[in-house]
Formats: sequence, C-alpha cells, structure tokens
Amino acid sequence: MNTARRLLSLCLTPLLLAAAACSGSSESADNEHVTLTYAIWDQAQSAAMKQIIEEFHAQHPNIDVQVQVTPWESYWTKLQTSITAGSGPDVLWMTMVYAKYYAVGGGIAPLDDKIKDSKLDMGAYVPAVTKAYTVDGKVYGIPKDVNGFGLCYNKKLFDAAKVKYPDDSWTWSDVIAAAQKLTNPQKGVFGFVAPEADELSWYLTVPQVGGQVISDDEKSSGYDKPATIQGIQFWTDMITKYHVSPTLQQTTDTDPLAMLTSGKVAMRYCGSWEPEEIAAVPYGKANIDIAPLPAGPDGNRKYYSNGLANSISAKSKHPQQAWEFAQFLGSERAAEIQAKTGTVIPAYQGHADAYAKAMPEFNLQVFVDHLKYAEPFPASTDTAAWRDTATKQFADAWTGKAPVADVSQRVAEAMNAALAKEKK
Amino acid sequence: MADSAQPPVGRRRRYLPRHPVAHLLLCLGAVVMVGPFLWQLTTSLQTFGESVSVPPTFVPRSLQWSNVTAVFAALPFGQQLLNTTLMTIARTVGQVLFSCLAGFAFARMQFRGSAVLFGIFLSVTMVPYQVFLLPQYQIMQRLGLLNTLVALFLPGMFSAFGTFLMRQFFRQLPMEIEEAARIDGANILQIFWRIMLPMAAPGMIALGVLVIIWSWNDLLWPLVVNSDPRQMPVSAGLASLQGQYTTNFPVLMAGSLLASLPVIVVFIVFQRHLMSGIAFSGVKG
Repeated sequence: MNTARRLLSLCLTPLLLAAAACSGSSESADNEHVTLTYAIWDQAQSAAMKQIIEEFHAQHPNIDVQVQVTPWESYWTKLQTSITAGSGPDVLWMTMVYAKYYAVGGGIAPLDDKIKDSKLDMGAYVPAVTKAYTVDGKVYGIPKDVNGFGLCYNKKLFDAAKVKYPDDSWTWSDVIAAAQKLTNPQKGVFGFVAPEADELSWYLTVPQVGGQVISDDEKSSGYDKPATIQGIQFWTDMITKYHVSPTLQQTTDTDPLAMLTSGKVAMRYCGSWEPEEIAAVPYGKANIDIAPLPAGPDGNRKYYSNGLANSISAKSKHPQQAWEFAQFLGSERAAEIQAKTGTVIPAYQGHADAYAKAMPEFNLQVFVDHLKYAEPFPASTDTAAWRDTATKQFADAWTGKAPVADVSQRVAEAMNAALAKEKK
Repeated sequence: MADSAQPPVGRRRRYLPRHPVAHLLLCLGAVVMVGPFLWQLTTSLQTFGESVSVPPTFVPRSLQWSNVTAVFAALPFGQQLLNTTLMTIARTVGQVLFSCLAGFAFARMQFRGSAVLFGIFLSVTMVPYQVFLLPQYQIMQRLGLLNTLVALFLPGMFSAFGTFLMRQFFRQLPMEIEEAARIDGANILQIFWRIMLPMAAPGMIALGVLVIIWSWNDLLWPLVVNSDPRQMPVSAGLASLQGQYTTNFPVLMAGSLLASLPVIVVFIVFQRHLMSGIAFSGVKG
C-alpha cells in the first residue's frame, strides 16, 4: 500500500504543486489581507463565536476569520496532527486539562510579550483561569470562560415532601437530611443523585474539606490524603450508606440531568452550562430552580473549576493578526456577546450580568456568585494519563465493592507513577 | 430473504408449524435489529424535551418536521452528501482497480523479490489505521491538498488488504485458462483484462462492498484532513452537530436518518450481492 501510495504521490506531485502554487500566489500577493482559522469544538457556541467574528471583522477589515467546528473527541486528534505537521489553526480553544501538555510541547505560543505590548490587563479575568494557563511563569491563553456550580432542586418534590427550599446556609449535613426526607421508593423518587463524574462530583467537595487531587507543585497525588477521601466519601455515602441516590449502574444508563428534569431525583449538583438544557424540557423549566452550592462542613466553598482559553498556535503564519483576534476574543464586548446566550459564563470579571439575566426563570446569579471560590482544575503535563484511570477505579467505591480509602490509595499510587514518568 | 417465486400454498402451510422456535427467534432478532432504527425515526420527530425525558418518549406528541429543516440550516447537507458519494465512488473504483492489478501481479507474475514485497504489503495490514494519520496528513499538506475533496479520497484509493484479497482470488483461478490464452497469443495485460478480470468479478464485488461500507461511514480521516464544512462528507457534518455539553438529539437523529437513506436504497437494490460479498470475504464492516 505504502509503495503504491508513494509512487502515485510522486506522479501527482508536479501537477498538484503547480495547482498549489497558483492558489498560493494569489494569497501572498495581497499581503494585507489574511484569513485566520479559529478552531472550536462546541456547535452550540458557534453562533456567538460568529457574531464576535463579525464585529471583529468590522474593526479589522483586513482580517477574515474562518471557524472550524470539530466535535470534542476528534478535536484533539486533529489538533495534534495538524499542529505537528505545522498547518494547524491560528487561534484555538484550549482546556485546562491539555494546556500544560501543549505549552510544554511547544504547540501553543507564550503571549507575555504581546500582552505587555498591548497593555492587556490580565487582572480582568477570573484569577483561577489565568493561573491555569500560566505555565512556568508564562501565559499561554487568554481566558474565555469559567464554570460555576449550584444546587439544582425540584420545587414540586420539595413542596410535596414539605422540605424547606435550599439556601446559602446549607452545608453537607443539610443536603443529606433533605435527601433522606425527599427519597420516596414507592414513587421511584430519589432525594439526590451522586454520579461518578469528577468534574460534577468530587472536584466540588474535595476542596471544601481542604483535600487535594494533585499537590501544588504537581509532583504528587493528593488522593491518599484523609481530607480528599472525606470529600469523595460524601458521594459514595449517598448511595451505599444513606440510599438516597440512584446507583452507579442507573446514573450510567440514564443521564443524571435527565433524571432531574423528569422528576426522578429532587437535587443535583449542576454546572453553569446546564440551565439551557433544563429550560428546554417543559417539566424542568416549570419545576427546577437553583440554589447556592452547599458549603463544606466548616463553611468552606472552594471548588475546582475548568474554564477555556483562546490560545495561539506556535506555528501560526500570522501571529500578529492572530493576537489581534485573540485579544478581541478576550475583550469586554466578546464577553458580553457570549454571556447573552446563557451557555457559558465569560471569564472576564464583572460581565456575568448578561449571563445571569439570560434565563429569568432560574436564579442564575448563584453560578456567578460561586466564581469567587474557583480554584484551577487539577492538571499536569499529561493529565489524561491519571485522570481517566482515577475515574475508572473509583467505580469500585461507587458500587460499594471497596471502601473509598482503599480505592483512593490505589488511585494515588497509579497517579504518582504516572506523574513520575512525566518528569523524565 | 423472500423468494420472488411464490411458494406453493401447501408447502407453506406445512412449513410454518415445523419451526415455531426458529420463527420466534427470528422475529425477536428482527425486533432487536429494527427497534433502534424505529426509535431513531420517532426521536427525529420529537421535541428536544421529549427526547431527554425519563422514561423515554416513543411517540411524539406532535410531529416536529422542523428538525429536518434544522439539519439543512446547520449543514450544507446536499453538498456533503455529494462529497460522501464522490469519495465513496473514487475510493471504491481506486481500491478495486489497484488491488486487482497488484493482486494479479502477486498471484501470477514471477519476479525477483515478489515474496518479500508481498510480505511488506501484508505487514501494512497489521499496523493500526491511526498510525498512518500523521504521515498521510503530512503528505496531503505537502501536496497542497488540505481542505480539498481530493484529500478525502486519495489515500483511501489503495489498500493492502484489498491486494491480499484479490491475490488470493486470482490464485484460485485455474492456470490452464491463462496458458490457453497465452498460446492464443495474448500478452499479459490482455490476459489480465480480457480473461482473468471477468472471472474475478465475485472477488471484486466483495471488495467493492466492503470499501463502500467503510467509506460511507469513515469519520476520523475526513475530520482531520478537512476543515471547511463544504469539503466534508456527511459523516463529519453529522458529528459536528454534537455539542460539548448538550446535543440536540432530534436534529442529530433527523440528519442521521437522511444520511442513511441512500445506503438503505442501495442495500435494497443490491441486497443479494451484498450478502454474498460479505459472506465471501468473511469480514464485516
């Protein structure tokens, strides 16, 4: 196959090079006018992105921007392939999970000089996001959005069980007490839902008791710390001790959010991107509201937040124009446009009002108020190497097959081994 | 499946009670196979709220034809369907043609290093497809073909597996026919084109069927090599309908349904060939 392929490409090369040369020359002749490519992965946000591009183009008539939407799973394969080959997008969405990988590997460009030249105020963004995209003291992305969390609850089920609605005084014990009252096996209603999904479960409770997923120097796992174990135990207890949540089997078969919007569970920890989906279901729109995320036993409200940034490819052929665009994406105006859609909270501080007002049926302000407790998402150079293993292993604790402490110990060992490999 | 010739009534009456268990199992099998497809059909006509409710909704309250128009609004659907068709045709013609040429050479022509060369060919089939992603991408890039229709099908026009398949097929054909043709004065190309190729039709159909199925569904390569929605096949277009957080399932299902319609038509028309093709190659998908 290879031989045939190579022979054919040899035969075709002169012909195709001629064609490429023709198209290439017409572009380079007009030096002023450039077309940037902007890689994103969420179809739902492409409308907002296109509006931002339109306004950017009005200000910079010489710069065209083309959006490439690639679904999440293929996005990273494509990015890695195209950046390695040197023809990737100019500006791209980056997540905290992969930021260090691409920064250390030289795929995305440090922006410090440009930030200094343009006098861009990095203090305008939620600090946790800026911190996550700062690798070895250099900034690799302009913060785009940030996640807040809240307690979604079903007013109808609360009324039926005569339980007071949750408020900002709630801590873990209030959640457990309410969940016990709300659980009604005859009607198939659970008081709470404890999915096994780091971002939507233990990443929210581990910091509340002073636990850590990864040490500050990113060299060792925090999963073997007693506080971390306590933060995870909160979730498994809901299933194995109090029996107020559907089992792991059930939350794997049915989307926990769908359980909430169908009246099967009374409470769920929700992310700031979810109200849109809740509102799309008539039952959800009528009966669900959002309260502040319950604090830890000592009133601690810290949580791990993911958030995206706009990064510039280190291989971009138009770094200056790419910077102009990335800067606009990080501007107040771009934040406003994004916020209005109600899909994401912009990382640009003080401009979350439009988000909070996007869906008046819910108390979205809860998510915005949560942001001040945000900590950067746990990440190292090769986050995927230990994060996926952790999620797989913790299934044993969720099903009650092994105590959380034992599984945590196992996860910590595997994670430490993965981190040690990273340093070489 | 159903024979076009009507079975005699008497035979049919005797036949039914003889295999009640088999019939029951077959009916169950049919339900299991058709079920997801029917669910896709009803989901494509539901509202988003209905599609994510628990327990699941099977019959939509009112038919949401707007899901179908939403597909056309979100994607250059017609163009993408055309791209898929062109990609499939080019890959199929290319693979069948080149595999036959190479397979015939390996089966019937003696030349130095033929066994070694064939061994190298076979070793290619043992490498996972993903390994070729980067080198193939770089070749397309250097040829200046990124983001073009040609990039979609060019690397897919050659196949080590196809060469292997056709070589095995040509080896089975009787040597005497070839010798007779040679005595009649045919040169090697004439023997290939006039004599051997027509006899290899079943093998070609088998290979063709496999390539068509693989090509129609191919997702990763088109997504990686092309970025402009107008240069993408419909599989990649449908994939981009999935959001990061929420996916509008009714619209996705409507699009998938539209995309599978041509395949269903092809299947109904070529049912018999498809069955024998897959049975012959012993490989599915």
